[in-house]
Amino acid sequence: MLWDILSIIQDNWLLLLIGQYPNGPLGGFAATLILSVLSIALAFPLSVLLALARMSRSPFLLWPSTALVYIARGVPLLMLILWVYFMVPVLIGANIPGFVTMLVTLVIYEAAFLSEVVRAGIMALGRGQMDAARALGHSYLGAMWYIILPQALYNMMPSILSQFVSTIKETTLGYVINVPELTFAANQINNQLLTKPFQVFFILALVYYLVCWTLSHAATVLERRIARKRAGTTSGTLPVELQPQTLTVEP
Amino acid sequence: MIRFSNVNKNYGSFQALVDINADVARSEVVVVCGPSGSGKSTLIRTVNRLEEIQSGSILFDGQDVHAKMRSKELNHLRSRIGFVFQSFNLFPHLSALENVALSPVTVNGVKREVAREKALQLLDRVGLAAKAGSYPGQLSGGQQQRVAIARALAMEPPAMLFDEPTSALDPEMVGEVLAVMKALAADGMTMMCVTHEMGFAREVADRVWFMDGGRILEEADPESFFSRPQHPRAQRFLSDLRH
Repeated sequence: MLWDILSIIQDNWLLLLIGQYPNGPLGGFAATLILSVLSIALAFPLSVLLALARMSRSPFLLWPSTALVYIARGVPLLMLILWVYFMVPVLIGANIPGFVTMLVTLVIYEAAFLSEVVRAGIMALGRGQMDAARALGHSYLGAMWYIILPQALYNMMPSILSQFVSTIKETTLGYVINVPELTFAANQINNQLLTKPFQVFFILALVYYLVCWTLSHAATVLERRIARKRAGTTSGTLPVELQPQTLTVEP
Repeated sequence: MIRFSNVNKNYGSFQALVDINADVARSEVVVVCGPSGSGKSTLIRTVNRLEEIQSGSILFDGQDVHAKMRSKELNHLRSRIGFVFQSFNLFPHLSALENVALSPVTVNGVKREVAREKALQLLDRVGLAAKAGSYPGQLSGGQQQRVAIARALAMEPPAMLFDEPTSALDPEMVGEVLAVMKALAADGMTMMCVTHEMGFAREVADRVWFMDGGRILEEADPESFFSRPQHPRAQRFLSDLRH
């Protein structure tokens, strides 16, 4: 069994890694990685904006953002992907490559979920921080940027990380619209071999697990560093140039 | 400096402030006292518009705080009114120095080095220069409140508001915070202070306002108020305090 797995990897590692490139679009693990990283990088800032919009008092911000979150949470991702894939070319009259479709759908879907996490984090901080910030003269957005978000996002890091990991796993759904990412490549191999499905999909699961584990571990390390800094187990004294100098008294 | 004219505030059907008419003059120290739920905190929070009012006006240094204005103007107005909270509300993700130096830099556009220098001086003034690099989580309650006072002072406000600054502190730390406030008063700061610390009121206040049920029932200098309260409710309040 182990021998099977190793031989499959040995025979097909290039396909698994970069798909059919250069004879086709970039695929395999590289595509999964790029798709994941881009989705997360785009969804995260969007989610913060969505969260702020959902807490705004202006109906122009409140209603569209609420509708977006409700729809993204209410519709299965697979359906959303198929919708976007079939409807958007009709609406805008041009063809979009599968990769872009997948990226856009994932960004919107994840931003909706993440925005709820961010909103929870902001609301959990309580009035006091915002009161103090406003009393000092900060604008609402200034208070958010310097005071509220650094705390809220840090507090919700475990939840945010879960969403990131979900994003990575959701890239597998690109399979249904022929995005040649890792799952697609694994399926190709399986269709060739036909007799070793378990081994092939074991490799697939292992790769996803390693990627997600790396992300989780990186987040844990980051969390610990920030906690140590804020709890002050690192030294609480200032660097030398900022310490107050005692004046010497001239006789 | 601060003028309340016919101020009324309600939360739905509950009248929190009823026909408040009063003045705080420049460099005056006013202590607002009274039983719980009398509207003291609400009153002080209306001064920098952390609470809205339904009628009347509040003038701060000649400017109507509750007039319709752009948020930029309101933010600027708020930056000129120092506010110290009962629960300190320090920013836990920043060190004491950063807490004090943040607002001058981001709100007033002061240069970072200048702001840090000034922040260090202010922390020294409240006796916490050695704790400049510490985070709020490492500080005691009294130290946190002193940092909060320094943070408010960093904006160089002409007036300071204190909302029960020592109510969340244990008795040992109350003294250190009151010492800072006394020094501020001696320097001529206009102060409006909601507090239960009657000793502080006696020593430092120029006037005492006694509130109950959303109204200012009595206004007098501390000497008269504590020895010869006029209003029956005030008499009851002071006699309860002594037990």
